[in-house]
Amino acid sequence: MLSSLIFNKKSRATGIDGSMPAKDARYVVIDTELTGLNEKKDSIVSIGAVRMAGGKIDLGDVFYRLINPYTEFRAESVVIHGITPSDVGEKPDIATILSEFLEFCGPDILIGHCISIDLCFINKEMKKIPGSSLKNAVLDTYSLYEWLRKRMTFHKAFSAPLKDCSLYGIAKGFGIPANGAHNAVVDAFITAQVFQRFIPILLEAGVRSIGELLRVGNPSRGGDRLRSAGESISL
Amino acid sequence: MLLEEVLTFLKTVPPFQFLDDAGLKSVAGSLSMEFYPKDTVILRQNGPASNALRIIKKGGVKISIESGNGEDVVIDYRGEGETFGLVSIMSKEKQKTTIVAIDDTICYMIDKGNVHKLIDSYPVLTEYFLQSHFTKYMAKTYGEMRDKSLFYGSSDHILFTTQVGEIAAKEVITANDETPVQEAAQLMSKERISSLVIIDDSGFPVGIVTDRDLREKVVSKGRDVLEPVRNIMSLPLIRVDARDYCFEAVLKMLKYNIHHVLVIKDGALKGVITNHDLMMLQGRTPLSFAKDIENQQAIDGLIPVSRKINKIIGFLLKEGAKAGNITKIITELNDRLVRKVLEIAERKFGRPPVPYCWIALGSEGRKEQTFRTDQDNAIIYADTDYAELENSAKKYFSAFAGFVKESLLKCGFPPCPADYMASNPPWCQPLKVWKKYFSVWISTPTPDAVLNSLIFFDFRPLYGETGLAEELRDSLNSMLEGEKVFLGYLANMITKNTPPIGFFKSFVVEKSGEHKNELNLKIKGITPIVDILRLFALERGVRETSTLERIEALKDKHTIVKEYADELEHAFEFITLLRIHNQVEQIEAGREIDNFINPNNLSNLEKKTIKEAFHLISRIQDFIIERYKMLIW
Repeated sequence: MLSSLIFNKKSRATGIDGSMPAKDARYVVIDTELTGLNEKKDSIVSIGAVRMAGGKIDLGDVFYRLINPYTEFRAESVVIHGITPSDVGEKPDIATILSEFLEFCGPDILIGHCISIDLCFINKEMKKIPGSSLKNAVLDTYSLYEWLRKRMTFHKAFSAPLKDCSLYGIAKGFGIPANGAHNAVVDAFITAQVFQRFIPILLEAGVRSIGELLRVGNPSRGGDRLRSAGESISL
Repeated sequence: MLLEEVLTFLKTVPPFQFLDDAGLKSVAGSLSMEFYPKDTVILRQNGPASNALRIIKKGGVKISIESGNGEDVVIDYRGEGETFGLVSIMSKEKQKTTIVAIDDTICYMIDKGNVHKLIDSYPVLTEYFLQSHFTKYMAKTYGEMRDKSLFYGSSDHILFTTQVGEIAAKEVITANDETPVQEAAQLMSKERISSLVIIDDSGFPVGIVTDRDLREKVVSKGRDVLEPVRNIMSLPLIRVDARDYCFEAVLKMLKYNIHHVLVIKDGALKGVITNHDLMMLQGRTPLSFAKDIENQQAIDGLIPVSRKINKIIGFLLKEGAKAGNITKIITELNDRLVRKVLEIAERKFGRPPVPYCWIALGSEGRKEQTFRTDQDNAIIYADTDYAELENSAKKYFSAFAGFVKESLLKCGFPPCPADYMASNPPWCQPLKVWKKYFSVWISTPTPDAVLNSLIFFDFRPLYGETGLAEELRDSLNSMLEGEKVFLGYLANMITKNTPPIGFFKSFVVEKSGEHKNELNLKIKGITPIVDILRLFALERGVRETSTLERIEALKDKHTIVKEYADELEHAFEFITLLRIHNQVEQIEAGREIDNFINPNNLSNLEKKTIKEAFHLISRIQDFIIERYKMLIW
């Protein structure tokens, strides 16, 4: 009940037709790399995004920007994403890039793995730029994964015991190659492929429309707490 | 960043691998990626035409087409690095084939607009796609062709080997461009032609008028029939060189949506080729050879026809339809040839003293011949109580069978090395002797008896008094009713031939000799399935002899077949097809044909399928062991 109220509000805000088949919608699958996970101290190093439309991942319509962070790089996160201070030194600042990012996203539904983290940092930056905000509807592949795992226990993708619910762990379970270094656009691409595999399974589970999809993939359903447990970043 | 992976992949995929880096990058940038779970129908026959060219990144698809009688015929499989959907893009018509993912499948897609752009800017792509796709499923003539020929697709190959000049109408009817429309139409009626080439005063062809022009530009528009024909002729004139192969003409007809193409030789008008000519060419199908056989009156006349059949079989196999259809056609043609030989023999030796039936044995009996195989046959003649008649029958059939053997040899059927032929006296006997043979083999299953039963129990009447063969089949079935021991012997033999399950892991293949590290497809793949179905057919008294027909007949009679019918059929079709393809390649390479394949030459999809087939055989052998465990040692 509550969740459907939330959704109704959202649908009005984003202008998305909730009855449209989930597969036909346009999505932007995003990922960010951060200097760390501390919301107060850390900031965004790079944003990557790929577009999906009609169930297809569009390899020609890709967004990837490195950002000059104002916070300090931390040695432990540099190891993870491989972006060093000198890589981003000459890059445009976050305001320019965010407006490009907003333009890229347009009205499409945003998807990410544990997307709350990405949104948290993006929104933090948005606040500093007057008049800009991210109003898009949002889906979390981690929430979708948890939801499907509970219901589709007989499905081959979920029958194995859960060992690793990180993006790479889930990707591996679907046979999606995931061996590159953490890179925002590569990770967004992997997330998009994971979502692509979810679509037919979601259909089997009865999730057909965008409205239903947004309900089961609501980021607040999944545990943000698990991002730190699932991914290799720990604070 | 993402594109690097795509570029690496495209560099392994023809025709994209022939592109330069800039070309590859532009292809990669235009791709999107789609995922199809196993069994997804990606494109459906008669559904909307494909809007993209798809390159299979992972997985595989099955391409099938529903034939005129509603049967689904698999025409191709495509695996990783192969493409599909191009014809549909080009033809703008409804989808001609159904394409189903046979595994979880990922495809890169290039949308229609980009395909056109690529084809325009890279001739190497055009060439490749035209050859590999267009001609294989020629969009337009496809449906017509399918309904007309016994074996659709068989004739495609002829399009590559026949030059336009060979079939174009030799005598070109022309008219001056000043000729009134009515006069031109009258000329066309008189000459019974559907197109008229229009020439100028210097005799140079400037246009063409076809039935369609008369219909669309004159009759339906109410145009004055006395206007010069120049006003209604079609331009531009599309021409092919007389030395071009016919598929070029087909391509031009498709591209310009026309039915007539001028044929030019050494710069001069040589003729006109029409879609009708091409259809006629495609009419050179097995059916026309069947007629050719019927028309022969002597063995000498059959020899060249027989040789021609051998050639057409090569074409047939090459185009790769279902194995079951291929063997059906070969069997049909061989049967006709043998029947003709028997007719000629009857004329030579006069009426037989008693009725007889000519039976085919072994693979011929099962209608599973691929390339021209050995003679495997026998004669059953009617019982008689008169010793004198019996004697004259023996004499008659001995000479008769000897002549048939020699004649078949002349037609290219080598004699059976194990002498399973009617010319061999033990296999030319009255019905009662045959019944005796069968009952002895069943009651005392010595190794020889079991071996004989494998060959003879697949017998099938081919010519003469078929009632004799039917009676023998009836009596065989009643002998086998409740007969566990003999079937146990068969079961034993079947389960000893275990499939090389570890084949693609540890290569259980020939360990030494000429065929080291190769797999014998016949012994390890085909024979086990044939043997299994023979056993089941004998268990249930099923009269069919071909493996596929046995599967069909046993579907509602035998629990194991009921459960595995589709898998068995698929496995058998697949291995047979693989074997045939292998043999075609051997013939083309000028080698002796055999049944060995090197597994390293198989695609991933083929490996996977054959592995599944072996698992299936193994599973069914386990059921057989369970069923006959008392009798298996």
